[in-house]
Amino acid sequence: MPNLRDIKNRITSTASTRQITRTMEMVATAKIRKAQDRIESARPYALSMMEVLRNVARFVQGASHPLLEEHDKRERIVVVAIASDRGLCGAFNSNILRLTEGIIRDERAAGAEVDVIAVGKKAIGYFRYRGVEPIASYRDMTDKPAITDARSIASRVIAGFTSGEFDAVKVVFNRFKNVAEQIPEIHDLLPLRHEVVEESADHLKVNPEYMFEPSADAVLERLLPTYIETLIYRSLLESAASEQGARRKAMKSATDNASEMITTLTRSYNRARQGAITNEIAEIVGGAAALEKH
Amino acid sequence: MARTLLVEIVTPEHIVYTNEVEMVVVPTLDGEIGILPLHAPLVGAIRPGEVRVKIGETTEWFAVSGGYVQVHEDKVIILADDAVIASQIDVERARQAKVLAEMRLSEFAPGSRDEGYDDLERGLKWAEVQIAVASAH
Repeated sequence: MPNLRDIKNRITSTASTRQITRTMEMVATAKIRKAQDRIESARPYALSMMEVLRNVARFVQGASHPLLEEHDKRERIVVVAIASDRGLCGAFNSNILRLTEGIIRDERAAGAEVDVIAVGKKAIGYFRYRGVEPIASYRDMTDKPAITDARSIASRVIAGFTSGEFDAVKVVFNRFKNVAEQIPEIHDLLPLRHEVVEESADHLKVNPEYMFEPSADAVLERLLPTYIETLIYRSLLESAASEQGARRKAMKSATDNASEMITTLTRSYNRARQGAITNEIAEIVGGAAALEKH
Repeated sequence: MARTLLVEIVTPEHIVYTNEVEMVVVPTLDGEIGILPLHAPLVGAIRPGEVRVKIGETTEWFAVSGGYVQVHEDKVIILADDAVIASQIDVERARQAKVLAEMRLSEFAPGSRDEGYDDLERGLKWAEVQIAVASAH
């Protein structure tokens, strides 16, 4: 017979856990909105930027720029792994780390060295533990990434890529598809694909002749690094929104599980209580019957 | 009402300003360009400096930290890394940022362009531009 007091204690502790997970769920829900708003407000810049980039690219025939050049060798690549600072968000971090591990394995098999740029404490901790010292790490910004964070990541990878220190850059992050679904994805960041500057020149409406200040080449040269920043910023924002989405989902199922557990425990508590009462009655009746005999 | 331009000042984080105006002046790499309605299509790089926007008798000033400008069919898009309207510049904070950036920059060995140097330099420029624009208006 389970002890009544023990069951009672378990119910109380499960209930307080549920209180916490429920609060975390609500906090995450509120944060999703904010994170989505941030993605939204980053959109006008990104769209205008694409438009300018295309306009410029059409005037730079056979655009050549270090960031567009594919290196002859493929000896060292860098993966920017965007995870989060905090846990309790389901498979959010482990998806990123698993994908990154996959890249490391594949690239090593193909004979390339892999370096990691870790974003978020969870990524930093994981790679340190695995003996892969990140070449750069960023923390305390994953829930609210600023453009300056994206800039500093961008300048690091651009410098490394143009100097030939590494030959390709990939970024791994959770894309925010919707509130319920976040999709871990791998994107190639560098070298920039030529389509970026070449695509869609045709289906733009008939374009006027543009003037350039100071020149199309000069503008393109400045524009490409900014474009990289925009891409990284976007990934960080998507990841921030995804983190909250994943946490909400994880906390919701934790809350549901806690409720279910409380129901079960309450049931066995009642059964135990009833059992105890029945026992007592039986004892009293038995005791009374024993007395009567005298 | 005279013909107007639609101007948008956008940073990666948000839209700073959007309005129908009569003239926009942007700081380009080697000077300034004034843009009036019916301006020819243009794409240009801009340096850290001051953007002026004229609406009738009033003028608005903005500090921008560099970026791009595109003019197309009476629409001016200014893509800035950072931008703030003159009246909202936090001069005290910009001063502190300037002092801090100068201090950090002086710690770099002369001639070295190590990691972080460009960021600091960019931050310093931005602080200086904000101070200049705020004190001019």
